[in-house]
Amino acid sequence: MSVSRWHVAAASVRGTSHEKTGQACQDAHDWRILPDDGLVVAVADGAGSATLGQIGAVLASWTAATTICARFSSSPWPRGDTEWGACLTAAVEVAQAAVGAEATARQVMRRHLATTLILAVATAEQVAVMQIGDGAVVVRDGEGNLVSLTAPLSGEYANETTFLIAPDALATAQVRVWHGQPTSLAAFTDGLQRLALTMPAGTPYAPFFAPLFRFVAAETHAREAHEQIEAFLRSGRVTDRTDDDLTLVLATVVS
Amino acid sequence: MSEASRLDEMVEFAENPEPRCPCVLLLDTSSSMRGTPIAALNGGLRAFRDDLMQDALALQRIEVAVVTFDSNVQLIQDFVTVDQFDPPILTAQGYTHMGAAIHQALDMVQARKEQYRTNGVAYYRPWVFMMTDGEPQDEPNDVVEQAAQRLKADEAQKRVAFFAVGVEKANMARLATLSERTPIKLKGLNFVDMFVWLSASMQAVAQSQPDDQLALPPPEWGTV
Repeated sequence: MSVSRWHVAAASVRGTSHEKTGQACQDAHDWRILPDDGLVVAVADGAGSATLGQIGAVLASWTAATTICARFSSSPWPRGDTEWGACLTAAVEVAQAAVGAEATARQVMRRHLATTLILAVATAEQVAVMQIGDGAVVVRDGEGNLVSLTAPLSGEYANETTFLIAPDALATAQVRVWHGQPTSLAAFTDGLQRLALTMPAGTPYAPFFAPLFRFVAAETHAREAHEQIEAFLRSGRVTDRTDDDLTLVLATVVS
Repeated sequence: MSEASRLDEMVEFAENPEPRCPCVLLLDTSSSMRGTPIAALNGGLRAFRDDLMQDALALQRIEVAVVTFDSNVQLIQDFVTVDQFDPPILTAQGYTHMGAAIHQALDMVQARKEQYRTNGVAYYRPWVFMMTDGEPQDEPNDVVEQAAQRLKADEAQKRVAFFAVGVEKANMARLATLSERTPIKLKGLNFVDMFVWLSASMQAVAQSQPDDQLALPPPEWGTV
């Protein structure tokens, strides 16, 4: 088995507000290398009002990534945007069903496992994303340009967004198939969006991503890389700007 | 430490305005508040400010306005961030034009949201805290009734979160007809604790948890 071109570093950390209240981190993420050197990334943010939001987020991200992994273990990449959309939808539906089943098993209402979900699949020629809720996915192309593939959506209030368990979650999900050669990819939950993007347009802020992508490219030890990302997310500079749970998944192609 | 050194020293952050959390303190300064109640209220306003000054995010997000009501409704302080908030010294006199006060608070909240939207600033659900020891006095019934109806509609639409706080000997039953939420009663005149609690609640909102029903830390000092 050949070594992947992708270097990936990722972390989810509990925010200072949850530290104060003693609540667990409600962010979760998952990523896998796929055949043909593809990459799947899933990121989820449990709702603060959901007592089991952490469970919802872990289950959603793990299920989505696992489903994509299984799909592409023996099937070729989708042909065309419509097939990509259908593929992502199917995986998110499985995640949605898993969260619903967990709620039933625990005899609680679904909203107790409310979570956002971002699912991204990168190949050598495209990046396909489905997003329910806030946070965002940013891609760097072969020329070094940064593109936001999704926008962090909120309701009227800054702390309102859509969740996976909502009846209209799939109908209102953002779906995007970007065509190009991704050299780097970042996925993050809403805690970082005001640091990483210029709002309200949601354009990627280059001085945020450049050092991070460089770091991931240079770092060869997975554990070191993870620890550095964690330390970054826990740093005073970050926590002065956000007390939310934080998730950052970074991937860079190294030839 | 790897060659990559400290990421937090190398990564730069985008500059974005923080989402704002507008809070109107709607304060009864009618003659029945004379003496200890108004003195405690003044002390509580200072405690409110001092407590919020401790929190970096509260300083960036919370905007406080103060409206007093007696025979008149007066805007004492338009929305300012906590570091700009100079707690006023209030005196007590006159009747209690509560209906008009509620209208003013709701008007202010609505206008503030429009300003945010015009300027592309994100915001949280606004809060209004009405602090009173009595019921509407010297105000036509339909003014009060209209205010109550408007408040009910706004709450149903989640346009605002309104809390009625009755101090010592307040007519809680009357307040209950005005506010969607069960009015909170103060045991004695524990304003400092109340304002500290209010600022803790404010910090909870500023901590941006998506919420269906606004949950607040239970006040230890008041009965619900």
